[in-house]
Amino acid sequence: MAESRRTFLKQSAATVAVVSLPGCAPTAAERPDALVPATLRAVGEAVLPEELGADGRERSVAAFERWSEGLEPVAEMAHPYLVPETVFTGPDPRPGWAAQLSGLDIESGKRFGTSFAEVGVPERRRILEPHVRRAGPDFGRPENAAHIAVALAAHFFASPIATDLCYGRAIAKQQCRGLAGAGDEPAPLPGAAS
Amino acid sequence: MSQVIESDVCIIGGGISAAMVAERLAERTEASITVVEAGGRTASLEERTATRARMLAYGENPYPNDHIPGQTGTGEMYQSMVLGGAAMHWGGAVPRYSPEDFRVRSLYGVGYDWPITFDDLEPYYQEAEERMGVAGEQGPPEYDPRSKPYPMPPLPLSWNLERMREWTDAAGIPFWTQPWARNTEPWQGRNVCRRCDTCAVCPTGAKYTPDFAFDRLLAAGRMRLHGRTLIRSLDLASGSDRVESATGFHQDAPDQPVEFRARTFVLAAGHSWSSHLLLLSANSRFPNGLANSTDNVGRYMTGHWFASGFIELPMRLYPGIFPNNSLLSHRFASPGPLDRYLRHDIRLWESTVGREARLAADDGRVLWGDEVMADWRARTRSTATARIRSYYDVIPTPESRLTLDSGMRNRHGDPMPRIDYVAGRATLDLEPHTHETLLGRFDELARAAGGRMMSTRASRLFEHPGGGCRMGDDPSTSVVDRWGRTHDHENLFVVGAPTIVSSGCANGTLTFCALSLMAAEEIAKG
Repeated sequence: MAESRRTFLKQSAATVAVVSLPGCAPTAAERPDALVPATLRAVGEAVLPEELGADGRERSVAAFERWSEGLEPVAEMAHPYLVPETVFTGPDPRPGWAAQLSGLDIESGKRFGTSFAEVGVPERRRILEPHVRRAGPDFGRPENAAHIAVALAAHFFASPIATDLCYGRAIAKQQCRGLAGAGDEPAPLPGAAS
Repeated sequence: MSQVIESDVCIIGGGISAAMVAERLAERTEASITVVEAGGRTASLEERTATRARMLAYGENPYPNDHIPGQTGTGEMYQSMVLGGAAMHWGGAVPRYSPEDFRVRSLYGVGYDWPITFDDLEPYYQEAEERMGVAGEQGPPEYDPRSKPYPMPPLPLSWNLERMREWTDAAGIPFWTQPWARNTEPWQGRNVCRRCDTCAVCPTGAKYTPDFAFDRLLAAGRMRLHGRTLIRSLDLASGSDRVESATGFHQDAPDQPVEFRARTFVLAAGHSWSSHLLLLSANSRFPNGLANSTDNVGRYMTGHWFASGFIELPMRLYPGIFPNNSLLSHRFASPGPLDRYLRHDIRLWESTVGREARLAADDGRVLWGDEVMADWRARTRSTATARIRSYYDVIPTPESRLTLDSGMRNRHGDPMPRIDYVAGRATLDLEPHTHETLLGRFDELARAAGGRMMSTRASRLFEHPGGGCRMGDDPSTSVVDRWGRTHDHENLFVVGAPTIVSSGCANGTLTFCALSLMAAEEIAKG
């Protein structure tokens, strides 16, 4: 049963990866505004559900990284209904997010004498809390998040995987499922508490 | 020197009304047909999977290059200017108007009667449904009259909507499935809906968009398309009220005029740009604009307002199963005798409002990881949210008007349209009664399920807008006759949204299409 659940999470993460298109930008490691992988993963351990397991969290963080690399600043948005003006997304949030990751390390060093990735989850949450509190109570769209921790969590909790985990059912929103079965109660996820 | 292009019928505009007219004329006449569209093409069906993915991931416009920078107006109007028009973006909701919509003055003493009845339009409704491929469920005949079955079986009710229909049945209000221009069976070479949840951009082609019709006609050699060609004026023949030509230019060659000559001209440029072009075409014989000898062009701009809300239901639903299907009732669009006028529809959807994952608990405590999930589960385990919305009609008024805005011009110096929607005294006087009644009905429905209203709001956005060239038998109060032929120019027709008399209390696109097909029947007579 547990194996089936892991399989579900793995497959679902793959689905997110498909939706999160990589762009043509240089890889994160080549860019000055790169999101430092170790610090980003440490943030993931603080804000993503533990029930995902280490593998699930890693897939979620990796999906966020791919999504982030594909993000185009100031892109034309879908037209609001009956508004005759073009609306654009915001400027590039990634330099700010990269600076925030760096800031987390600096603050961790000053508070705890070691890097953010090396302190425990409670200490990380203590550092993150003021930033998350300012963003709440709703997640909003990840590209609009004022802090990288909120962006990462928003990206995950908006995903079809998160919805399925919440309900313990294979809803598979936005997945082009066909009309058959629409009238059925979604099947329980293997091993899920619903 | 102008490039001259000749055809029997010149259709100006490349949206859904133009597609209806072009398709019908191509099938039933030998006429040569030219379609002139100011915009270009946007994402093809093959490209929509990729643009959909980016819309989901980043909120980006799934239809790149679907408008012309600087070619825009002021007021509530669509941004799209592209082959397919606003019906590239649409969700595909295609209810008919109710018989009462065409006779509100006679039945209720408000507003204006149309020069046609529901029965006059009914065959064209059916034809439009067949051209698009509409999947629908027959509602109670007294509220959903039709002479033939829907072309396709309805989209299935999701498990959520089935539970919601049990609730509405218990409340005693008849609801049925919203009809959609989305395939439940293969139709005209298009796929069946695959429940992708992104109907604004359908990656399978199950949703009708007008580009499909144009591509079929182009492939069959039954029409010529001049894209990215902006018409700036309609010109009369010397000493005549007949339109002789439409003049514009290709966007890549703004200094080289293109002149379209035709026996018949069809203005199918939507609710904003149709009136705009007529006003822009003023000349010494018609100093206020073509078809405007009685000063009605641009007037009676209309749409419907709505009240909406969210209902907390004491039941478990699974939002995301099929969020783009909904329940519909036209029970109150055909209300019978009334003390005070109010006609409206009711729509119901599954919703996630108030039940999304969140960062902080009610007491302000920040939630982390598993706590977010636990909080989310607790709020969705035994309660759910339904969205409810009612359109009600705004009584049209001549002061609700599109004019040329000399203070806002495109890069060629042409004044752009400005729409100042106005609700007349009749609508405003009825508004408190309207809101009280609608919110009372919402509350009654909520309580029938043991639920409660979470929130309500009223909107004065003129949705599904139309008007500006309204139809009528009396030239002193209208721009076109029942067939869309302008009273002033025997070879100039206006079709679709601009010709409506009122916007009823249902989404308008199917009616715009039916009116266009009715006009096409007259145009075909030559």
